[in-house]
Amino acid sequence: MFSLSSYFSIEYLVILLPISVGLYAVLPQKLRRMSLLLSSYVFFWAVSGKLIAYLLLSTLSIHHIGIWLSSIQGDCDRLMESSPKANRKEIKNRYLKRQRLVVTFAVALHIGVLLVLKYTPFFTSNLNTLFRLLNLPLSLTIPSFVLPIGISFYTMQAVAYIFDVYRRKIPADRNLLRLALFMGFFPQIMEGPICRYSETAEQLWAAPMLRYQNLTFGLQRILFGLMKKIVIADRLNLLIKNIFTGYESYDGFVIAVAAVCYTIQLYMDFSGAMDLVIGSGQIFGMKLPENFQRPFFSKTISEFWKRWHITLGAWFKDYIFYPLSMSKPLKKLTARARKRLGNHFGPLLSGAIALFCVWLCNGLWHGAGWKYIFFGMYHFALILAGSIVEPLVVQVTKKLHIQRSSLPYRCIQIVRTAILVCIGELFFRAHGLRAGLTMFKRIFTHFSLDAVQDRSIFTVGMDKHDCLIISIALILIFIISVLKERNVPIRERIASKNAVVRFAAYYALILSIVIFGAYGTGYVPVDPIYAGF
Amino acid sequence: MIYVKRMLSFVMFSVVLAALLLAASLVFYPKNNMSEFGMEEAQANGILGEKQNTIDVLVLGDSESYCSITPMQIWEETGYTAYVCGTSAQPLNYSLVMLHRAFEKQKPKIVILETNAIYRKISSGQALKNKLTNYFSIFQYHNRWKSLGWHDFFGKIEFTWTDDYKGYKYNTTVSPSINTDYMKQTETIATIPTLNVQYVHKIKKYCDDNGSQLVLLSTPSTVNWNYARHNGIQNLASEIGCSYIDLNLMNDQIQIDWSMDTRDKGDHLNYSGAVKVTHFISEYLKETGLLTDHRVDPEYAKWNDSFKKYEFVVGKVRAKK
Repeated sequence: MFSLSSYFSIEYLVILLPISVGLYAVLPQKLRRMSLLLSSYVFFWAVSGKLIAYLLLSTLSIHHIGIWLSSIQGDCDRLMESSPKANRKEIKNRYLKRQRLVVTFAVALHIGVLLVLKYTPFFTSNLNTLFRLLNLPLSLTIPSFVLPIGISFYTMQAVAYIFDVYRRKIPADRNLLRLALFMGFFPQIMEGPICRYSETAEQLWAAPMLRYQNLTFGLQRILFGLMKKIVIADRLNLLIKNIFTGYESYDGFVIAVAAVCYTIQLYMDFSGAMDLVIGSGQIFGMKLPENFQRPFFSKTISEFWKRWHITLGAWFKDYIFYPLSMSKPLKKLTARARKRLGNHFGPLLSGAIALFCVWLCNGLWHGAGWKYIFFGMYHFALILAGSIVEPLVVQVTKKLHIQRSSLPYRCIQIVRTAILVCIGELFFRAHGLRAGLTMFKRIFTHFSLDAVQDRSIFTVGMDKHDCLIISIALILIFIISVLKERNVPIRERIASKNAVVRFAAYYALILSIVIFGAYGTGYVPVDPIYAGF
Repeated sequence: MIYVKRMLSFVMFSVVLAALLLAASLVFYPKNNMSEFGMEEAQANGILGEKQNTIDVLVLGDSESYCSITPMQIWEETGYTAYVCGTSAQPLNYSLVMLHRAFEKQKPKIVILETNAIYRKISSGQALKNKLTNYFSIFQYHNRWKSLGWHDFFGKIEFTWTDDYKGYKYNTTVSPSINTDYMKQTETIATIPTLNVQYVHKIKKYCDDNGSQLVLLSTPSTVNWNYARHNGIQNLASEIGCSYIDLNLMNDQIQIDWSMDTRDKGDHLNYSGAVKVTHFISEYLKETGLLTDHRVDPEYAKWNDSFKKYEFVVGKVRAKK
């Protein structure tokens, strides 16, 4: 058996994916879906071994719970139909209560497993700190667990499925294998996107025939993802690692450069992985949801999060923000606040409470640590502040006759948003919250351009050649992003060219990855950052 | 018809891609075997600069091999020429690559494989990468894009350099080991990964096909070796029909002093440990009766030059002692 570490590993790209595609291509439709499920479990086993039991248990439980919910709903409907109108509300409430109990049980089970495996060490160490502060002679052993791959991702898919069945958005799936394929589809199990049952389950189960265009488009996307990850993200790694580890030795400008570089690395790493994931799916004819939509063209933080890790944001919106905002206590609060604070600030109060919960969960989802909580709170504060000052900004720009839709104004907004994102990522990458705060402070207290003047910045982990290659690659990605933003169908245009032009473009991309990729002697393989979440 | 057309275009695409990778490999491959020219593992690859058919003994393996065997001492004691093609953490698939590479110009009569490498697990990805690198060296030398010059495009490949220590890595650090009782007898057999067994078979076959004798050698190491591993290699040696020498069980002859002869708490030997192991190897090679003393052969004059340089450095250490 081979072992796998990521979608960028040679085992995935040269062994698992081609074998899966080959098997898929030669089998009849009914067996194709089985081959996908088999490939998915082989993939999971190759990465996490026996921990596949967690995925199987999760799949079995949502299958059973879904049917359970469905049967309660069926009983409720039948009883309501045969009952007089006056009793219907009471029946509905009674059955709703039962369903809520089942949903609570299902969510507690899934989130409970995630909490125990991922967060127990964090909570235990914090309890120990609390005991020390209170001078209590107590000390708990900090447990450590090995996490199955993608637990944060498939748990969210499972919870979404349960909620969607409960909300009657989808019928409960009685086909265990279809549900298993939805939960475990190998291209997306490790880093998402977090798919909804209604988006992917049916198309996965349909297992369409392999098509030439899907195959070529999928492979193109995989190549593009490889370029982002191997040429840009991994090449930046050494500089980032050196500065974030020994930040006390560097001045403010170098730290600011590291923060920008890390933001680029994270984007290239994660969006590159998504290109690989979506490209892999496309080869099989599956349309997986996009996770990125040119986030660095965002004009506000709020917009940024609609373009960055889209499926996570959408999950939080649908399963935390809306249920909380629509809950009775917050609805009441909104009504009262609207009377006192007006139509803009009134709803903001309850919105802020729901938003706080979303960003607390978002921070914690990324990792068990105070710096992640801080990261969540930082974005919560920025989004809330953006909403609060919005009327003021509108007034001021109006008075100053500034066109908000003008290009210079939009550019300023984009740059401002990018700077704010970079600051957030500085804390996200730092070795702990304290280190993050010190680094941030250092940017201002120890600001100096000496490292540029004496060129010592080129000795931190990237020389001039590395900078040149990264710059060229980033310019290329920028041009592609601008074209995509303008809805130019780049891939279709390339596909419409004659074979010589097409092949030349592909060869150029492949050779640039082979030659300029940061791999082999002198480079440490960098695990995909989001696979760790 | 459309399928045939697509298949043809796929084949054409692959052929042109392979040709491009091959062309890039030719450009990126170092034109000399010195590290200044970008050659990786230059010390082990120094064998490429040796005169044709002048090497009698080839040593393969990981760091244990280049820390334990010093070919210049073999030259001094026997007049046999040995070269250590061991590299740091060498997996067996790379040992096979080095074997092939060495045999391009040499016909060593004896090939010694240090056995620690046999227990180093090879991932399928690593094996695949090495295979790919064999055909397209661009995957190994791609990072040379930073230093490419005109010579790389139009120059000839000329391996002119060889290591005066012949692959041995000289180290005199002393860091004693307290774990001297590491060879406790047991019936347990340490399992050798299946892929590794296959590679040992390949190495044996290649040696047989080229008229060389393969010897498995376990050099002393309190960190890496134990009786279970000894049993595993003993079984493998019987299976493939080759000699096996475990120096860890022969300390009465070798006389390794773990308070003096290791540089890192028993993991690797230092120079004084290597002297003891090499002396044993010299005696063993003499006993085989397969090799000739070249010390007075003018064809091997350069070996005497290298020995002088080697002796200049190690002689000082000996004099100090």
